[in-house]
Amino acid sequence: MTNEILLQLLAAFLFTMGMLVVLMRRDTIMILMGIELLLNAANLSMVAFSKANHMIDGQLQVFFVITIAAAESAIGLSILVNLYRNFGSIKTQSATTLKG
Amino acid sequence: MSPVLVILAAISAILAITMLFAKNPITSAMCLLGVLIMTAGMYGMIGEHLVATIQLVVYAGAIMVLFIFSIMLLNLNTEETDYKDKPMVFAGALALGVAAFAGIGTAIWNHFQAGEVVTKGQFSAEVVKNLGGNTKVLSHSLFTQYFVSFEVISLALLVAVVGAVVLAKRKFD
Repeated sequence: MTNEILLQLLAAFLFTMGMLVVLMRRDTIMILMGIELLLNAANLSMVAFSKANHMIDGQLQVFFVITIAAAESAIGLSILVNLYRNFGSIKTQSATTLKG
Repeated sequence: MSPVLVILAAISAILAITMLFAKNPITSAMCLLGVLIMTAGMYGMIGEHLVATIQLVVYAGAIMVLFIFSIMLLNLNTEETDYKDKPMVFAGALALGVAAFAGIGTAIWNHFQAGEVVTKGQFSAEVVKNLGGNTKVLSHSLFTQYFVSFEVISLALLVAVVGAVVLAKRKFD
């Protein structure tokens, strides 16, 4: 078992955990954190494969993914603040009306 | 297989499991922070110094501070664990997770065991070292080959900043 297999298996495990967080938790903030974990796992996989195959495109892709993740979390958290202001809770089942 | 890498991988796997089952959102946020820092350590261990630095500064620094800040702003205390009141949903999600991990793991194992012929790129460790190191090579590629993507990503960040301010402010009068 080499470093590459270890990193790929860890990336798969972290991806599974992020998927389970998104599926099982009902807090909007937990779902956002699960998405961050998913992005992190994908980044790890890309960097490890790119390193193993002597390329640099994977690392640059990860640079862009991290930037998009920052933008996504800023937008997501401000939507979450609005959700809390309008419904008094950030559970997914509380946001059931389209009226603001 | 380097032992430090194994230790970092084990810690991050344990922290990910803790994050899934923690009751308090702040515990989950701290576990996610740990996972991100461990990942940065792993990037550093395999020699990707620029990605490790960006991971540490942007992910573990900026994004997680934003998360912890909004958890504290929204005053979320210990919530009841919502997955426990529906055991069927819990078991189904867990089975789906195990199936997904088994599928990906089998694909990875087959890929590495079959010894598929992969065309290697030109940036081996020696070439990168002779060109002046990981950071220099990546930055050069970023500002020549990926220049347009870089500019587009800065525009996307600007849009995100404006959008976040508009969404988070009080109603327009």
